[in-house]
Amino acid sequence: MNAVNTDLKPADAVVSAPFFLRGELVEGQDAVHRSRDLGVTFATPRIALDRVVHPRTEVPPLLNVPLAEIIDFLVETGERIRNPGNLFVAECIDRMSATHVLPRAVLEAQVKSAAAYLDKRLLQTVVEQNFPDPRALDEWVPKRDFTGRKSFVRAFAPRLIHVLPGNSPGVAVKSIAQGAMVKAVNLFKMSSSDPFTTVAVLRTMAEIDPGHAIVKSMSAVYWRGGDDAVERALYRPQYFDKIVAWGGGDAISNVVKYLGPGFQLVSFDPKTSISMVGREAAASDEALDLAASLAATDVMVLNQEACVASRFIFVEADRRDADRFCERLHARIVEKAAATGDTRPLDMDLREQIDMLMLLDDDFRVWGKTDGKGLVIRSDEPVDFHPINKTANVIPVDSLDDAAKYVNVATQTVGFYPHQRMPDYRDRLASGGAQRIVRLGEAGPSTIGNPHDAMYPLHRFVHWMAHEDGIGPR
Amino acid sequence: MSSAIEKLTRLVAAEDRFDHPHEDLRETQLEALNERFQERRDRIKLLGHRAREAGTAEIRRREDMVPLLFPHSVYKSYPERFLIEEKWDLLGKWLGAVSPYPIGPVETSDVTGIDDWIARLQAAGHYVSCSSGTTGKSAMLLASDKDMEWSRRDTVNVFAWGSGVQPARDRRMMGLAPTAAVPKNLVIGQAQQEAFGDPAKERFRLPVPPITVGSLTKMVVLRKKIAEGTALPEELADFEQTSRERQETLDKAVIAGAEALIKYRDEKLYISGLWNALYQVAKTVREMGYAAKDFHPDNCIYIGGGLKRAQLPPDYQEFVHQTFNIPASRNFQNYSMQELNSGMPKCQRGDRYHVPPWLVPFILDEEGGTLLRHEADEIEGRAAFYDLSLDGRWGGIITGDKISLDFGPCACGRKGPSVRNNIVRYADIQGDDKIGCAGTVDAYVRGLS
Repeated sequence: MNAVNTDLKPADAVVSAPFFLRGELVEGQDAVHRSRDLGVTFATPRIALDRVVHPRTEVPPLLNVPLAEIIDFLVETGERIRNPGNLFVAECIDRMSATHVLPRAVLEAQVKSAAAYLDKRLLQTVVEQNFPDPRALDEWVPKRDFTGRKSFVRAFAPRLIHVLPGNSPGVAVKSIAQGAMVKAVNLFKMSSSDPFTTVAVLRTMAEIDPGHAIVKSMSAVYWRGGDDAVERALYRPQYFDKIVAWGGGDAISNVVKYLGPGFQLVSFDPKTSISMVGREAAASDEALDLAASLAATDVMVLNQEACVASRFIFVEADRRDADRFCERLHARIVEKAAATGDTRPLDMDLREQIDMLMLLDDDFRVWGKTDGKGLVIRSDEPVDFHPINKTANVIPVDSLDDAAKYVNVATQTVGFYPHQRMPDYRDRLASGGAQRIVRLGEAGPSTIGNPHDAMYPLHRFVHWMAHEDGIGPR
Repeated sequence: MSSAIEKLTRLVAAEDRFDHPHEDLRETQLEALNERFQERRDRIKLLGHRAREAGTAEIRRREDMVPLLFPHSVYKSYPERFLIEEKWDLLGKWLGAVSPYPIGPVETSDVTGIDDWIARLQAAGHYVSCSSGTTGKSAMLLASDKDMEWSRRDTVNVFAWGSGVQPARDRRMMGLAPTAAVPKNLVIGQAQQEAFGDPAKERFRLPVPPITVGSLTKMVVLRKKIAEGTALPEELADFEQTSRERQETLDKAVIAGAEALIKYRDEKLYISGLWNALYQVAKTVREMGYAAKDFHPDNCIYIGGGLKRAQLPPDYQEFVHQTFNIPASRNFQNYSMQELNSGMPKCQRGDRYHVPPWLVPFILDEEGGTLLRHEADEIEGRAAFYDLSLDGRWGGIITGDKISLDFGPCACGRKGPSVRNNIVRYADIQGDDKIGCAGTVDAYVRGLS
């Protein structure tokens, strides 16, 4: 969490975080903020509020730029991000590693892999999956219903505010691409744990063509989430159609109070992912090894910072077999943690809760220590706290049917072993609130263009406009 | 009891207890900390675990104590389902891990609810107080008979010192706080009554049903059910209805409180309560046409706890003081918390909270893991304390507060350590700016009223 540091000590190193306003880099040290994760302060310019909004009297700059050209531009951007000589990206990683909870190597890999999203076929597929007729992005598509009434429909370019998360730099790249493909006027509100990536990507784009409509459609700024001075001014339907926000709790309740007619929320909700391991795993040592290894892969997605990362693992086994699973799972998590060099200790509160569980032997068993090197807790029911920072909670159940009741509206991904059991459960899981069911070990990857958070986001972003053309002559 | 601890706790009523400079206390405090540690390391399971993890066998420096201080959240670390599913034996086992005295065996087969279970523990000498966490879990704090005895003495000493009111048993006691009926609050109320209350005058209590631990935890249980998706709409509607009725009772009680104050306005009063309730009562008194001039010029006021997130105008303190004609010299403020068993009264001259010799203060970094070097007189950071008076649980606690601790003398002339009057909770100063896609179902639970 972060706060404006009101009593900044001169000895603190201040990292500069410039803004990007519709093609132009804006530097300045007008405001100082703090990224509490590592106690680093960063300085930003003042936000020129008028420059981030696009007058309603003017159509969005990207409106009549063909989608194909936009995709080509994004592909070129991706190549430049991957180019080791890209100074914007190098500088961004330097700055970010000072403010981010994840280690440098993980961040580097993330930025590079985020660029993989900027692939021609991939982007085309995303559009095709989101729109029954992607032509609607480029033109007024003619329609005719069974009564003979004619019309044209357009997926019109919206005005969007993106409230970006801080736990995954990849989201910045994805949001830029999505905002560009729907031809939106985009304002990116960066997070304090990553006030750099978005600007670095946009600068890379501006280098390709500083006058391009895509560059003129993008702004990235930082303000402290909930800052009334900014939000009361900007969060209005006269300036923006939709606010695309990640997160929950205070982050969303701040946004919710500005919603109203004409100013809608597209929310990417905070999610918890889980795993289900069937009794087949305990049938042999090989199967148990495999299941534990796959589960560890899912636990360790982005070192468990991401929503797809598994936190609760339901195992169809008795305590003894569950403990054998836990032992193996722990070893695999420890290996993976060691390989990334990430040994952040657990937060004090979490450490305390786990330490107490360790003392309640029989009912709870713990593998590993609360030292951030990997930890597994076995309990009869899911623990109260949110397992994070390489922590997995294993719950033995008689049947996976019993585990289905723990699926709730916050459940995102459910990983299954063996995968043959997925069809038996998918209806019940969807009914419970889950959004994605995967083979164990494959929480990370997803089919290109598939729904996210139970929706096709691009379809929600656009301003669907109808041009009624009456009943024409036969 | 061992000598260093005794040397310090013996000062409980000493006139000059806040006049011992840190340098003079340092060695004795260190010795006392070690005494306590040696005596408790094998008796408190969690402490033993911590000591083993840290490899601590002895407290030789203040730093040695840091890994052994418990975060305040430790007393909330019980699995919620123990409470919800009324697994008293398991809850007892959990309590046992933070208790220096073996818990039980308590007969639990016919326990009717948490209040009943707590009563049975109390009969066995284990006093459980719960904090009133309004949304989350409540902390369960264990105390012994000795602690109750200490609270009884300390609360009177702290109030007398901080307010300048002598315990002369000459006041009418006006209790205006709907506080939780937990042992610690009850003991404090009783001790204040006995010390300051005129035995001939009946104590006024706000006419509201007692808030028991059971009624506090009901909310926690419901919240959990909402999160799990097992709470049904009728149940929520019922709960909201009960809340409305409770609020109506409270609104009526505020009027009754105001009327009682007006009735006894000529008498010398001892008013106690929480800021929010006192503000509401004061407002009502003014609306009824009464003000400072109508009240006794030597009234005093005891405030328990902070604002508890109540939204009050910035001048709420002056407003309350002025309404009841509390003289400036009687402006009592106390820094303490449920987790401690001793108070730190504020002095009128220096505007600082004075730390008694048996309360060892530590200033840690924000994360609470490292002791900050106390180079200047005053340093700022996360507050932690070791309360040497505590017997029924470990006295070392890391708080959620950011404080400035001064080892230099106070403007009032006293040479003991003191805390500046600018305490804030880290939870209140941290923004909510860190957004991630990962989160819990808590974000999906809309608050209940």
